[in-house]
Amino acid sequence: MKKFLRQLKLTLIVAGGVIALNAAVVFAQAKSASEVLLYTSVPQALATQFADAFMKKRPDIKVEIYRAGSTEVGAKLAAEREVGGIRADLLWLADAPVYYDLRRRGELLAYISPEAKSIPADLKDGKGFFTAGRLINMIIAVNTQVMPVKDAPKSWKEFPDLGKRAVMGNPLYSGSNFVTVAAFVKRDGNWGWFERARAKGVAIVRGNSEAADALAGKEFGIAMTLDYIIAGLIKKGAPLAIVWPADGAISVPSPVAIIKGTKNPNGSKAFVDFVLSREGQEFLVKQEVIPVRGDVPPPKGQPSASKIKFLPIPYEWAAENAADIREKFEKTMLH
Amino acid sequence: MTTAKIDRRYLLMMAIGLFILLVILYPLWQVFFRSFVDAGVFSLKSYRKVFSYPSYYRALFNSLWVSAATGALCMLLGTLLAFLVVRTDLPLKKTLRSLLVLPYALPSFFAAIAWIQLLGPQGYLARIFFHFSGWDTAPWNIYSAGGIVFVLTVHYFILVFITVAGALERMDASLEEAARGSGANTFQIMSKITLPLVLPAILAGGLLAFIGALANFGIPALLGMRARFFVLTTSIYYALAIPDFGLATALSSMLVLVALVSMAFQFGIQKGESKYTVISGKAVHPSELKLRAIKYPLFFGTTLLVFFISIIPIFSMFLTALFHYWGAPLAAANLTLGNFVYILKLEAGRRAIVNSILLAALAATITMFVGVVVSYMHVKAKLTGSRMLDFFATIPYAVPHTVMAIAMILAWAKPPLSLYGTLWIILAAYLAIYLPFAVRTTHATLQQVHDSLEEAARVSGAKLFPRLRDIILPLARPGMIAGWILVFMPALRELTVSILLYTHRTETIGVVVYNMQDAGYREIAAALASIVMVLLIVGNVVIRKLTGGVTGF
Repeated sequence: MKKFLRQLKLTLIVAGGVIALNAAVVFAQAKSASEVLLYTSVPQALATQFADAFMKKRPDIKVEIYRAGSTEVGAKLAAEREVGGIRADLLWLADAPVYYDLRRRGELLAYISPEAKSIPADLKDGKGFFTAGRLINMIIAVNTQVMPVKDAPKSWKEFPDLGKRAVMGNPLYSGSNFVTVAAFVKRDGNWGWFERARAKGVAIVRGNSEAADALAGKEFGIAMTLDYIIAGLIKKGAPLAIVWPADGAISVPSPVAIIKGTKNPNGSKAFVDFVLSREGQEFLVKQEVIPVRGDVPPPKGQPSASKIKFLPIPYEWAAENAADIREKFEKTMLH
Repeated sequence: MTTAKIDRRYLLMMAIGLFILLVILYPLWQVFFRSFVDAGVFSLKSYRKVFSYPSYYRALFNSLWVSAATGALCMLLGTLLAFLVVRTDLPLKKTLRSLLVLPYALPSFFAAIAWIQLLGPQGYLARIFFHFSGWDTAPWNIYSAGGIVFVLTVHYFILVFITVAGALERMDASLEEAARGSGANTFQIMSKITLPLVLPAILAGGLLAFIGALANFGIPALLGMRARFFVLTTSIYYALAIPDFGLATALSSMLVLVALVSMAFQFGIQKGESKYTVISGKAVHPSELKLRAIKYPLFFGTTLLVFFISIIPIFSMFLTALFHYWGAPLAAANLTLGNFVYILKLEAGRRAIVNSILLAALAATITMFVGVVVSYMHVKAKLTGSRMLDFFATIPYAVPHTVMAIAMILAWAKPPLSLYGTLWIILAAYLAIYLPFAVRTTHATLQQVHDSLEEAARVSGAKLFPRLRDIILPLARPGMIAGWILVFMPALRELTVSILLYTHRTETIGVVVYNMQDAGYREIAAALASIVMVLLIVGNVVIRKLTGGVTGF
């Protein structure tokens, strides 16, 4: 027993030491000169590398990253709003309609970056509340070992016909899937596409990464997912191919924005400048992401934006009806 | 002198009561309160929604039967294995025991992933099956209610196993000896003496498994969506995503209600506790049952089972950690150690390992001490109100962790006392969600310590703290250490709470694994999970050394 208590005491001392150390580290870091906190849904590895590239250029600014799926970031923003304000300095999410909601609430800082002049007008907010930082495209991906590309559907219209051989992500989880659902419903004026998909048995998985994984794992023949994820898998050797749907891919601009309450507006602006700069966009291109600047060529093997047909995205409508759209999707597809 | 003694016990109880109030009751009250509020005014709108949508009824029904089936299977599997490993002369039983506990160290969503990798439509086992059968679809389907029950059982049977194994170890063998002396055969002894003696442990473990399955999110989320099979926890998650906070809190309140009913049921079972008292001072170590002719068939069967539920999933996880990408053909050219290098180079990865170890150790230590005091008050001291305390301390087990995280934000993130953005808010949530483990395991342990021992000390004039220190704690020690591990292991890879409460710098291992998985880096997620497994194995060896080989898993 004494031995046990002695060990316990030792454990507590060690634990206390670690806490003190941790607190000291946190304290020291909190005091560091210029820090910006970024909430993003950009994949962890890419976000980290990108921040490192920025910090190499601007060693006076430290970028801290909080990375989660769009829904989690949304939940976090809502929670922080409840408890005294959003803590982030910067947002870089895939769920574009969220920015319309934030703008309406007056939670964004207007900033027109000098770099923004090289970015097409439809990819930025006129007052500079947010600017697209990357383009991610919802496309049809095919596993060529399951299905030759020539047999794969050429358009979204045919997509549900594949039934159980087709998979898509869940808009109750993923921001880009949410944007896609909104675009389809607004275009059709009804939920017919989803009712058909439900009836034929199209599978729903959590998000685009899981859809791509399941496709690479030959569980499905085709998937509705994001181009750069598939391009990344192809680069690693997976037997996949991208079909640009004839009725229009959905190009989701992933905007970058500064939160109004930021304590470091200069550091935040510098980060936005870097994201939009030629250098920043070229960095993203190396990761198979389509650039927002006209003067930066797209990744190899990817058609340039001017050659692709895109579906219009009803941002304002999607932002206003977000809860209804998600609820209707849940009722149509998930039950 | 007598008054001082009583005062001190009540003082201790009040301190614990305050702890439970701050960490459990107040946060949950906030959630409950919110479920009746719509746009700032009192409203039953959310409850009307729950009772008017058939899909939510169905989710409730699904939750109930899936958890009941899981609980029953866990009791069967856990008791059987505990008996084999503790009371028979099965070869290599120590090793088997350690291996059986391993899968519990996998995050539950990761366990689901490991099983998808194995049994999924294109999993390793499916591919082997295709190769030999010539079929191109497997006759089983992991994406189904059956698949969910299976993975939940493999994940939670350990709760029954550990509590029953502990009870069997501390059993007073003289009862069995007496029966044997009176001419009872082995079967009679087992069914009339041993089984009734460990029944509270079986039921306690089964209840933990039932409620664990009820509150689990990761497994039904990953396996249920493709089958469109929803349970309460997944419905709550989607209600939060819509976002319909009222609906989410209303569904949560219902889930808590179900768990409260099942807990009340267990409280009923435990009436007449002294019947189960098995440690009464001069305990003799129980004898080993000779398996004789069935020794090797049973050994073979157990080894096969351990191989299937422990080794293969972990092996598949390690294998995945070595791949360039998931689904790559199994060839040397597709294997790499890069994923391990990557995660250890990542600042967030290293920080997560430190944070998780710290949080898990603190949560395990604090909850075990609170747990042992709560159990002592209820089981031994039997003070007025102690039953209530015990009950309150068990409530969080039934609360989905997502809701617990929201409860913490509602309660402890607001100024003036804002813990938001620190490790402490995560710790508070861990304390709440793991306290029930601590209470239930110490409960079962203390129930087996006969009152006469403490009475003797009391009569001899020993005060409360010496009694706790010299009588209760030493006797409860094996149970406490087992309980400590039961808290430490899941806390080390906790996800659901951390994902909602973490900010930069307070990442936990679960968060980083999840983020990697989520971003499609399944191999990197597998690499970090593999590192956790190695940490746990090393930790286990250390604990064994520290406790002189008595416990550990």
